[in-house]
Amino acid sequence: MENLIEILKKQIIEQLNLAEVKPEDIDASAPLFGAGLGLDSIDALELIVLLEKHYGLKIQDPKDAKNIFQSVKTLAEYITSQKK
Amino acid sequence: MTIYINGTGCISHQNTIDADAFFENREIDCLPLLVAQEPDYKGYVPANMLRRMSHIIKMGVAAAKISLQQAELENVDAIITGTGLGCFEDTTKFLKTLIENNEQLLTPTSFIQSTHNTVAGQIALLIKCHNYNFTYTQQGMSFESALVDAMMFLNENKNSNILVGGLDEAIQPYYDLLAKAGHIKKQEDVITEIEKNKTHGFCLGEGASFFVLSNQKNKTTKAQIKGLKTFTFIKGADDLQNKLTTFLRGIDLSINDLNLVLSGNSGDAEDDTILNESNRQLFSKIDIVYFKPLCGEYFTASAFALWLASAIIEKQKVPKVLIQGHSNKKDLKTILIVNQYRNTEYSFMCVSSC
Amino acid sequence: MVFVTGIGIISAIGKNVSETLSSLLEGRTGIGKINHLQTIHKDNYVASEVNYSLQELENLAGLKNSNYNRTTLLSLLATQEALTSAGIKSISAHRTGFISASSVGGMCHSELLYKDFLEHKSHENFIDTHYTGAHATDVAKHFGITDYITTISTACSSAANAIMLGARLINNNILDRVVVGGSDALCKFTFNGFNTLMILDKEWCKPFDDNRKGLNLGEGAAYLVLESERVVKAENKKTLAILSGYGNANDAYHQTASSPDGQGAYAAIQKALEIANLSPNKIDYVNAHGTGTANNDSSEAAAMQNIFKENMPLFSSTKAFTGHALAAAASIEAVITILSIQHKIIFPNLNCVSPMQDTILFPVTSLQKNVEINHALSNSFGFGGNCSSLIFSKN
Repeated sequence: MENLIEILKKQIIEQLNLAEVKPEDIDASAPLFGAGLGLDSIDALELIVLLEKHYGLKIQDPKDAKNIFQSVKTLAEYITSQKK
Repeated sequence: MTIYINGTGCISHQNTIDADAFFENREIDCLPLLVAQEPDYKGYVPANMLRRMSHIIKMGVAAAKISLQQAELENVDAIITGTGLGCFEDTTKFLKTLIENNEQLLTPTSFIQSTHNTVAGQIALLIKCHNYNFTYTQQGMSFESALVDAMMFLNENKNSNILVGGLDEAIQPYYDLLAKAGHIKKQEDVITEIEKNKTHGFCLGEGASFFVLSNQKNKTTKAQIKGLKTFTFIKGADDLQNKLTTFLRGIDLSINDLNLVLSGNSGDAEDDTILNESNRQLFSKIDIVYFKPLCGEYFTASAFALWLASAIIEKQKVPKVLIQGHSNKKDLKTILIVNQYRNTEYSFMCVSSC
Repeated sequence: MVFVTGIGIISAIGKNVSETLSSLLEGRTGIGKINHLQTIHKDNYVASEVNYSLQELENLAGLKNSNYNRTTLLSLLATQEALTSAGIKSISAHRTGFISASSVGGMCHSELLYKDFLEHKSHENFIDTHYTGAHATDVAKHFGITDYITTISTACSSAANAIMLGARLINNNILDRVVVGGSDALCKFTFNGFNTLMILDKEWCKPFDDNRKGLNLGEGAAYLVLESERVVKAENKKTLAILSGYGNANDAYHQTASSPDGQGAYAAIQKALEIANLSPNKIDYVNAHGTGTANNDSSEAAAMQNIFKENMPLFSSTKAFTGHALAAAASIEAVITILSIQHKIIFPNLNCVSPMQDTILFPVTSLQKNVEINHALSNSFGFGGNCSSLIFSKN
C-alpha cells in the first residue's frame, strides 16, 4: 500500500502538471480537492483517466469519484480493493 | 471620440518586455521562425492556473497583466481579444492524442484549453472580471475586429476602461503545416529589407500585445488612437490608395500630417505587391519603416505594430533597429499603420500623441 | 431600432425554416443514431446530425468541387436562405456586413488529414481552411458582402454574440444591415472533447429533468438578417421581429462549469433587459440554454429564478429537438424564438418529466398554441464563463 501511495503521488504530479510539487510535499491523508492540493473538477476528470490508463479501472459517473479521490490514501485503498 | 492608450503589454520576438532595451537593440534576426522572448510567468500568474496554461495562454495573460499594471488598474469594464489561430498547442495536443489512442483515454485539459476564448476567459478569472468578454477569430483582421468592438463599447459606455489584445502563437506543428502549404520563406531568401523581397513566403512570428483603452486621459496615457478602418478584398493599388486617403480625410488628416508610416509588408513578393505600389505612390515624402522583420508575420501582427507606434510616440524616438528607414526628424506626433495579411485583410490605424 | 428581416436555418430537424417549423410542431427530434460522423463511439451515443453527406450539402448549395468543408457549406446554405427571406436583391445597395461564429471551423476536415500529416504522408494543404474565420471569408465572398466581415468564437455563446455585435454595428451607424449567426459541424474533436468532460448523455437528453445525464451534441447553422430602421422604412420592408435587447457578461467562476447561482447568466439577462428597456415581468417566454447537463440547468434555473422572481415566464429548452450545435446553437435558437413569436407557439421542452429538486421552475413540456408573445428571451452560455442573452420582440 505504501509503495502504491508513493507511485500514485508521482503519477498525480505528472498527470496534473504540478511542476512545483514534490511527492514528499503531498500528505497522503490530506484532502486532494478544495483545501490541501486545491484541485478542481477538471483535475478530477484527469484523475479518472489516470485510473483507467494505469490501473484499468473505469469510473462511469463523475459523482462516484468524489469519495474515491478524497485523498491519495482513499485512492490507493480503492485501487487495492478493486484488484481483489 | 478620442481613444486613449493608457497601458500596454507586449510579448514578442523582440525584448518588448523591457521597452528601453528593445529601443537600443540594433540586430534584426533573419530567420523563417521568430519565436517570442518570454518572461518568468510566475511573476504574473498563480501556480495553480499556470500549470494548465499552454504557450499562447501564458503569453496573453502575462501581456494583459503588464498592460493593467501600466494603467494602474485592477479590473476593467470589458475584455476583448483577437486571435486568428487560437490555442493551437492545446488543439494539436488533443488531436494527436485522439489519433494515437484511437479516441480512447483522452484527457480534458487540452480540449478545454483549445477553445479560442480561453485567454479572455482566463484573464476574467484571474482579475475576477464579470463584464463584457468577446473573442474575435477573423484571421488577419482578428485584432482589428477587437479594436472596432472596443471603440463602439467606449462610444456606448463613457468612462470605461477596456482591455484589448491581439495574440497568436507559432508552435512547431503550425510552422510545419504552413511550410508544407508553401507559405514559409526559405532561410536563404530571408533578407532584412523586407520591402525589396522578390521571393515567395513569409517568416512566421508570434506574440501577445495588450492595451488598456479608455476615453479618459490620465497620467499613464501614452498615445491616442485617432482612427481605424478595415477592408477585406482590396481590388488593387489604386483602390488601396483611394481608401487610405478617404480614411485620413475622415479623421481630418492629410498625407502631409503623417510623421511616420509603419508598413505591414510580410516579405511575400506577391502578397506585398499592392501595398508596395500604394506606399510608393502615396508616401514618397514620408518615412516608412517595416515592422514584420521584428515580430514576424502572424494574424495579429498589427497588434505588435500598435504597441510599437504607441511606444514610439511615448518615447518620441524610433527604435535603433528601424533607424534606417527614418530620417531622424524631430516630430513623431502622428503615425499611420498600414497592414495586410495574405493580401486578403487590410487595415489602417492612425495613432498620435495627445 | 434593429429589425430582423430574414432568417435561414439548417439543422438536424430540417434544411430550412419550413422543415424546421414542421418538426417543431410535430414534436419530431433530430437526435438519433450517428450516421455521418466516423467515430468509434457511434454505436454507443446519439447525436443530432444534419441528414446530408458533404456531397449532398454541396448539391443542395448548387455547387460543384467547391472544396468547402462541412462548416462552410452549412453556413452558406443558411445564409442563402436568410438573404432570400429578407428579399435582398442588391447586397451593395447598403453598407452590409457578415458576422459569423464558429468553434469547429475547418476542424471537421483537418482531423481527417492530421494523421497523414503527422506521418509525413499528407499532400493536402488543409491549414488554410482550418481557421474558424475561414468560412466567413468564403461565405461573404460568395454573396458579395464586403463592407465588414468578422467571426466570433466564444464557445456556446458565439452566435448570440455575433447577433449582438450586428445590432451594435447598426446602432453605431457603421453598417445599415448585417447577416449574423453561426455554423458548426459535428466532428470527432469536439465529440471526444465533450466525452472527456463526461457531460454527454448516451441517450436522448432531458433538459431540466431531475434525472438528466448530459447533453447531446448537434450541428447546424442559422443566420438572421438585421436591418436598421432607416433601411426598413426606406424600402418598406416586411419585418419578422425586433431585436430589442442583448447582453453579455462573464461568470468568472471556473473554466467550464457555471456558478451555482448563475451569476454570469443573471448579469447577461439583466443587461439585455436594460437595453430593451423592459422589466422582467414583460418577458412572455424564455428559450433557455438548457443543455441537459447537471450543472447548466441548475445554474440557469437559479439565475432565472433570481431575475424573474414571482413573475417567471413560460420557458423551454429546444435542445432535445436540435441537440447542442455549439457555436451555432444561439442562432438556431434565435430562429426558433422568432418562429415562436411569429406563430404564437411555445415549442415544448421534450423529455422533461421529473422536476429538478433544487428549483421550483418547471418548463413547458407540450406544444402551446395561441400564446401572445410580445417579448421573448433567448439564453446561451459557453465555456470561459461567457454568458449571453438576446431579447426579441413582436413587431
